[in-house]
Amino acid sequence: MIQLTKTIGLGLNLGLLLMLSACSEPQTSHQSISMGKLMGPTQNNDQTEGDATYTQVDKNRAIVFPQDHLSHPDFRQEWWYLTANLETAQGEKLGLQWTQFRIALTPENSTKIPIETLAAIKVTESDWVSKQIYMTHAAVTTKDEHFAEERWSRQHPQLADVSAEPLTIKIDDWQWTGTGNMLFPATLAVAGDQFSYQLTLDSSAPYQRQGEQGYSVKSADGSVASHYYSQPFIQISGQVTLQGESQSVTGKAWLDREWSSQFLNKTQAGWDWFALRLDDGSTLMLFQLRGQTDTDTHFYSGRRMFANGSGRNIASKEIAIKASSWHKIDSTRYPTSWQLNIPSENIDLEIDALNPNAKMPLSIPYWEGPVLISGSHKGEGYMELTGY
Amino acid sequence: MTNFWLSLQVFLAHYRQAPLQAGAISIGIILAVMLLTGVRATNENAIQSYSSATELLSQQAKWNIIPSLGKKHLDESIYFDLRAAGFNHSLPVIEGVATSADGKRWRVQGSDLIAALTSLSVSSDTSKASDSNNDEKKQTALLSTSIPLGEILSGASIVMMSQSMAEQFGEKAEFSLSGVELKIVALDDNTNLGSSILMDISLAQKILKQRGQLSYVAMFSDVSMQKSQIEGLLNQRGNLIESDNGDSLTALTESFHLNLTAMSLLAFVVGLFIAYNGVRYSLLKRQRLLTQLQQLGIDKVALMSALFTELLILVVLGSVAGFILGLQLSHWLQPMVSVTLEQLYGAKILPGNWQWSWFFQALGLTLFAAVAACGSLLLQLIHQPLSGNANHFTQISSTAKTQKYQLIVALVLAAIACVLIPLSQDYRYSMALMGLVIIAIPLALPWSLSMMVTLLLKLLSQLQRKIRFKGLLHYQVAETKELVAPLSLAMMAMLLALTANISMNTLVGSFESTLKVWLESRLHAELYIRPASDQMLEVEAFLAERNDVDAIYKQWYLKSQLQKLPINLVSRDETSLRETTVLKSSLDDLWPELMAGRQLMISEPLAIKLNIKLGDNLTLEAIPNRQFTVGGVFYDYGNPYGEILISPTLWQRLGLPNTPLSLAIGTSGSTDKLKQALQDKFSLPDAMIYSQAKIKQQAIIMFKKTFSITQVLNTLTLLVAAIGLFSACFMLTQARMAPMARLYTLGVNRTQLTQMVFTQMAIIVLFTCLIALPTGAILGYLLIHKITLQAFGWSIAMEWDWLAYGQVVALALTASLLAVALPLYRQTRNPLISSLQSEVL
Repeated sequence: MIQLTKTIGLGLNLGLLLMLSACSEPQTSHQSISMGKLMGPTQNNDQTEGDATYTQVDKNRAIVFPQDHLSHPDFRQEWWYLTANLETAQGEKLGLQWTQFRIALTPENSTKIPIETLAAIKVTESDWVSKQIYMTHAAVTTKDEHFAEERWSRQHPQLADVSAEPLTIKIDDWQWTGTGNMLFPATLAVAGDQFSYQLTLDSSAPYQRQGEQGYSVKSADGSVASHYYSQPFIQISGQVTLQGESQSVTGKAWLDREWSSQFLNKTQAGWDWFALRLDDGSTLMLFQLRGQTDTDTHFYSGRRMFANGSGRNIASKEIAIKASSWHKIDSTRYPTSWQLNIPSENIDLEIDALNPNAKMPLSIPYWEGPVLISGSHKGEGYMELTGY
Repeated sequence: MTNFWLSLQVFLAHYRQAPLQAGAISIGIILAVMLLTGVRATNENAIQSYSSATELLSQQAKWNIIPSLGKKHLDESIYFDLRAAGFNHSLPVIEGVATSADGKRWRVQGSDLIAALTSLSVSSDTSKASDSNNDEKKQTALLSTSIPLGEILSGASIVMMSQSMAEQFGEKAEFSLSGVELKIVALDDNTNLGSSILMDISLAQKILKQRGQLSYVAMFSDVSMQKSQIEGLLNQRGNLIESDNGDSLTALTESFHLNLTAMSLLAFVVGLFIAYNGVRYSLLKRQRLLTQLQQLGIDKVALMSALFTELLILVVLGSVAGFILGLQLSHWLQPMVSVTLEQLYGAKILPGNWQWSWFFQALGLTLFAAVAACGSLLLQLIHQPLSGNANHFTQISSTAKTQKYQLIVALVLAAIACVLIPLSQDYRYSMALMGLVIIAIPLALPWSLSMMVTLLLKLLSQLQRKIRFKGLLHYQVAETKELVAPLSLAMMAMLLALTANISMNTLVGSFESTLKVWLESRLHAELYIRPASDQMLEVEAFLAERNDVDAIYKQWYLKSQLQKLPINLVSRDETSLRETTVLKSSLDDLWPELMAGRQLMISEPLAIKLNIKLGDNLTLEAIPNRQFTVGGVFYDYGNPYGEILISPTLWQRLGLPNTPLSLAIGTSGSTDKLKQALQDKFSLPDAMIYSQAKIKQQAIIMFKKTFSITQVLNTLTLLVAAIGLFSACFMLTQARMAPMARLYTLGVNRTQLTQMVFTQMAIIVLFTCLIALPTGAILGYLLIHKITLQAFGWSIAMEWDWLAYGQVVALALTASLLAVALPLYRQTRNPLISSLQSEVL
């Protein structure tokens, strides 16, 4: 304190510290974030009223390539979602996931003065300033093992971003690199603490626009929807390293691109989503949106897709899907086997998880893993279960 | 078994009759456990805070990347490179000091809030360590509603601080830093922000005017395996160092906490004295009852078990109450301790949790002490012959013997301490030895008091020969001697508290005057300023042109380490070095050799801590490949960091940071005018420009704060002792009602009686205070010349404070006289016959 330099600096602490008083009782409201909360109508009190300033989905908005491969920061949420069913050189099945989520914290086109005029003076020039954060999940699932890791970052050109030429979707050292403005051919590199993979991806099939020309309705009343397109026909190969052991893999992958400002309405609790590759060469996208209570009606949607770009939408009433067995992980039960019946498509399938323990124990916990199909068709695919 | 229950019931009935006795015992235990627990909680909490100090709103760093030597900042590209290389469990931090509109300086910190908050959830998932602490923090993570992340990230000028900190700003207070209007968001205190002002890195870089710069990067994962990879990546742009988990802070503050612990143990002992006294008194009162019970056929075993059970119940009840009060006390002490620690060591103290183990340890200790203390009493009592119908003060017969034993033990202990203290080099041993002295002092008290009263009696006898006065006075003094034994325990406690208080006051007073003298020579310029480093050149040029500036003195400084201890490497211009360094000792050729860069000077605390002697050779981390001889040791008070002074020419030659940290200005003109001119020209806030007088004043204020916690504890101990004295006097006076009634019937009137009782008590208390005078001085001497010197490295000239001594004497007298007055007042309202009866009963 007497050292002169310190003495001169001490004025700052004195007044400040003296006013420190005893602590208050700790709050104990344990609340974990759910996918529904993240994707639902409200996620943050002060943003509720600002919802209107996010761009809303528009039935007439056409999906245009290559622009729509890039991010849509004026919408609240968006993702680049890759799942792959692979086989190692030894013939062992292996599932793999990579998803980069974009979440807008405030509307990009916001004209509202944040909180108070006081706070209106902004730091504009800094790269650190952004309204977007990215969350990326990566997972590798074998019959016996399941590894999942996640990364978070604000949008920052040096840290996490989606940019063109070449089309890059990155967070830290996890990166999708396309070609020019196109998503494919691409490389994807992910390096986690327990696993890593370096993959080459290519596809020659046309993109599939889900729903009505890419406008995918998510509820019976049509109140929520997203812009949604897929590439279900991707050849993928590369190296997967699990706990230090590297192996070559090849297989098929599926990419989903989806953005919206509201995925769920208030009555919806979560969804079960399936990306299935049938042995007749077709693929089937199917999801079920579950209500908060048993009385809320579930909403179903699906699309049968072919490599030549053609496909048929399957209406909600044509889909009959039912969980046939449940698996308990850390006090939560997940339906890891399903009965799916779509008479109009002559589809009657039993869907079983390759590894029922494929829960993603991340900051937003959900179940995601490869599935095997039997019944009217054979095949494999991916399943995502949220909101349990 | 029935006998046991019966005895217990009888005892319960006894206490219902005499609740004061149970009260006295409980108060002693409660106070002992309260102070013990209070200080324990405060200490453990502080130490816990050092080791669990996390990055704000985030977790604890395992490694840090800090600027390379001589640099203040890192380029933020280092962080980007780290992330791009996959080191995502890392956090960029920028910190510094910003000035608010009213000229106050605030320490602010900015970090990548997303990285900070997400590190919490990521870490707890991968490690699967889900302790409750982490869970609690997790909810403050990313999407919690209390942090308006969206606004913050999009660049709104929002700062976060703890609730308690934000309260001082009120609802609509305007707060701006570096000209940026800010909105304050208060976060719950359990987010552990302490007194920090936290903001996003984007805003912090703007406010601190450090665009693209970082203070450090915290690494949350253990990167010891990838050390070479990171070092390659850093490519000399920064240094990777392992976090010490607060070890250095714990080491720095060790002596402070030890002081507190010693103080609390002292209070514990004082409290136990009171409890022991209570037990003794209550047994004394029940002596007849116990004999009667035995005569009625209750066996000794049952009686003993009942007595022990009674003690156990009292101890448990007292401990529980003491523990609860102790936690409250710690809650109350905490802010004071954190001020001291923050001011002295820059340590941040967070609210903590108490542990059951503290309670059980306190209970165990109390139980052990109580049984050890009272065991002999119980045994003694039970071995008394049944026939010997005890009179009230049987024990007095053996008092002289006991006093002699106590004196012998005291002398032996004192002798051991006398021999060993000069040999001790470590303050911990010194403290233990001082503990022996502290035990010896009260042990010698009863004998000393008896001696003193005997002397007084002799004096009176001689006086009586010369002037005739009533025999009553003689009787009065003679009876005082009889009172020494029953009061001795309370007096011992009082003496301990008095001695501790006097010695502490001596230490504090002595330090204050030493500090003043030291400051006098340490401050040679009239004005001290610390402009921002980018202003420094301009300020220098401005000053050089002014006629009223006689001299400009500069100081450079650099943080470094010496044998793992954090130190400041400092240099000043030659005049400053010569004029302001107050040397304790030096080599003959210090100055020429220092200027030639072959010698250096080290501060006294550093020399003592590392046992460095004049003439020793040193190599400095900041100046590799160069050996220095220690040419001088200088006094340095209140600085927690060791300091090393080297010559300014060497500083320049080595290319150490060239911008002075602060300037000192000598002026023959008006200080105020020059200050005004500087402030007008450079808009320097008040907090960065100090006159000599203001520094002195601030230093004294700081110093007083540093010792405030110790003084509070000391006063508490004294209060505990006063309460003990009060209860002892109260009980004694009640017991003496019968003899007093006898005197009354013999014709001594009430006024005389009252005077007599007051005088007797005053004699004993004043004699005790008289004894406390030399013992306090001895203890003060040890505190100053052994403990403080060894623990803090400060040489202090001892000074005696009579005023403080007078105050504690007055407190002791007041407590005892009040204690006498109360039963006396009650007695005057009772019929005389009832008092006489009590003698017979």
